[in-house]
Amino acid sequence: MKCEELLQYLSDYIDQELDDALTTEAQEHLATCHNCRVVLDSTQQTIFLFREQGKRSIPAQSRSRLFDQLQDAFLTSKTS
Amino acid sequence: MDLQSGYYEDSDTLLLALRQRDPAAFAYLFEQYSDKTYRLAASLLKDEVAAEGVVQDTFLRLIERLDQFEGRANLGTWLYRIAYNLSVDRLRKRKPELELEDEPGDGRLPLPVHLVEWQQWPEKLLSDGEVTRALDEAIAALPEKFRIVFVLREVEGLSTQETAEITNLSLSATKVRLHRARLFLREQLTQSLLAIGAE
Ligand SMILES: [Zn+2]
Repeated sequence: MKCEELLQYLSDYIDQELDDALTTEAQEHLATCHNCRVVLDSTQQTIFLFREQGKRSIPAQSRSRLFDQLQDAFLTSKTS
Repeated sequence: MDLQSGYYEDSDTLLLALRQRDPAAFAYLFEQYSDKTYRLAASLLKDEVAAEGVVQDTFLRLIERLDQFEGRANLGTWLYRIAYNLSVDRLRKRKPELELEDEPGDGRLPLPVHLVEWQQWPEKLLSDGEVTRALDEAIAALPEKFRIVFVLREVEGLSTQETAEITNLSLSATKVRLHRARLFLREQLTQSLLAIGAE
């Protein structure tokens, strides 16, 4: 496997969606290619960082205002 | 309330309770999906106030169509879809040139430019305000059509299938977009980390 191919398959490799033959080829390439290993590691770290810090919520004040308002709309809406 | 929450986990039960205007069912639905739809909208619109507006409109639309909803799709996927469509509507008003379709060349991958090992383990980086800012800037620089797929898959933890349903994309387009998003963000972050480290 060449670097370009590894790069193309990188997401499938991370998500473990490559078939066995390609997974082996990818692993063999990664064992010998420093650059691709750096790309793999830093991509995984990138994903990790966004997963950890992306979890934001509605500011508390807006949240309770929204809830009150929507619950009113819900309760007064027509029932089937 | 704990028993109740488990009770509503079943989508049919929840839908039935909502149709009977059960307040606890609504509270459960809001608890489950308000932040999720907020994050979706905020990531597309980059505007917290507008994102709150999308959450409001999403739930209002759900309430309005509660009796027509066929219950074949998952209730959560339906809410995400409404939020996605409402966000895109708002975005188009602000940005008529918005491009969400596939374009020739979208499948081509740029070669990695920055090949530097990250010095610190990310967990340590999370506490660093500069890094938090770098993350915000990196994702804001990502074009919308890649950003939304990345957020649904990685931040919301949805499957490729669910992400494709919400955004009306094919499975393969969803995968290509996720892949490009990851590589783009990796590049941006490596660059920012180098800059931060150099200070
Ligand atoms: Zn390589």
